[in-house]
Amino acid sequence: METGIRVLLLTSLLGVLSGCASVRNWFHHRSEVRQAKAEARAEAAQADAQAAQQDSDATPPRVVEPEVERRKIKVPRIKSSNVEVGVQYGFLSIEDFGTQSTYGASAAYHVTEDFFFLGEWGRAYGGRTSFETLGGNIQLLTSAERRFTYYDLSLGYNFLPGEAFLGRGIALSSAFYLVGGIGSTQFAGDDRFTVNFGAGYRVLPTDWLAIHIQVQDRVFRTDLLGVSKLTNNMEATLGTTVFF
Amino acid sequence: MRSLSVAGLLLALVLLSAPATSRAREHLEVFVTAPYLELRTGPGRGYPVFHVAERDQRVEVLFRRTDWFKVRTERGVEGWAAQRDMLRTVLPDGTPFTFDLGDRAGFTSHRFEMGVFAGDYGGATLISGYGSFSFNSQLAAEVAAGQFLGKFSNGAVADFGFSHVLMPEWRLSPFLMLGTGLVHVTPKATLVVPSERTDQTAYVGGGLRYYLTRRFFVRAEYKSHMVFTKRNANEEVDEWKLGFAFFF
Repeated sequence: METGIRVLLLTSLLGVLSGCASVRNWFHHRSEVRQAKAEARAEAAQADAQAAQQDSDATPPRVVEPEVERRKIKVPRIKSSNVEVGVQYGFLSIEDFGTQSTYGASAAYHVTEDFFFLGEWGRAYGGRTSFETLGGNIQLLTSAERRFTYYDLSLGYNFLPGEAFLGRGIALSSAFYLVGGIGSTQFAGDDRFTVNFGAGYRVLPTDWLAIHIQVQDRVFRTDLLGVSKLTNNMEATLGTTVFF
Repeated sequence: MRSLSVAGLLLALVLLSAPATSRAREHLEVFVTAPYLELRTGPGRGYPVFHVAERDQRVEVLFRRTDWFKVRTERGVEGWAAQRDMLRTVLPDGTPFTFDLGDRAGFTSHRFEMGVFAGDYGGATLISGYGSFSFNSQLAAEVAAGQFLGKFSNGAVADFGFSHVLMPEWRLSPFLMLGTGLVHVTPKATLVVPSERTDQTAYVGGGLRYYLTRRFFVRAEYKSHMVFTKRNANEEVDEWKLGFAFFF
């Protein structure tokens, strides 16, 4: 009897004690599980890596290496064509000195479709005044002094842009323009401040070539013939220019 | 007759130096992203629209004149497209086509400037022009040349110096100048004919520039010149001028 009770007690004690061994899991169970899962994941990843390594070792080496570099596109520079350079020839009426032929050169920079800056240079030779013609052998000016040289810096405005039609098939772009500016005139041995203004017509047979017809008045004050007066010197020219 | 031959020679020179547009060259290609790209017969809003390039069509950009681009379509039609329309095209790699616009931002920061002035140089009427190269939005090297026409003497001036814009982003921005130059004086005396003379000068000055529109601005400036004469005393000359200028 005694032995039976002792055996029973020992057995129950064993059971209780072994149950106590799980007490710590009652409180730390969750973190245990997390840790276990993380370990499992790490192991799986390692296994995958190993498997991949084995796979790559198994595939044969590539013969042609693929070139995946981005193609570099070279952008060509766009040429600007705003500068217009040319020559002109025509007639200049020098007040009191008759109408004479004139020649010159011009350069323009087109800033916008409407406005351009224009620089002009020209030369003519003054003829004889009526006083000299009637007076016989009187020379008012030496031949060097008769040289009429001008330059001006002007602003131009394109208005009435349009097209000129030659027959049925050809249309040339064209424009009327106004110019006005300031400059200097060398005549009769003196330089004079000159104001110029006028208008012109430009027609472009091609994109780089232009034909101009231009009329301008060059006004300056002179006292060459005794009294100080404003002289108007009308000029009409035909010119050709090239766009750069 | 002499003038005719000179004019003929000049004409021949100009025609012989015909520009390189006719030469074959590689052109930039862009693609239309707007519903269509209008092509005009000339570089201006007054010229008529005669053709359109459709969306996704490729156009070649041949050259540019002011704010207009001469383009050629896939079918070989050539026409002029406006700057604002070209902003709605893309390069072959899909990036937007960008270029110098000539707007207010360009006024703040640009490479070159040119302008024309009228003014007063020590009492004489002055006609002058200038050009400048900007190192950055503030510092620029400038060259100016002019002719003055006075009662007692005529002459020419040439200046080289530096200018510094104080507030380049302001519409009305002040600037300072410092430099050196030459002045050539031709006196007009009738009784005793004094000799012509060329003297070196140094100047300090300042001015204002005011942005108008597009590529234009007004520039007003004052320069105080010190003329280093060969006589005992140096001369001081004041120069005032006002003019139009543009940047590019």
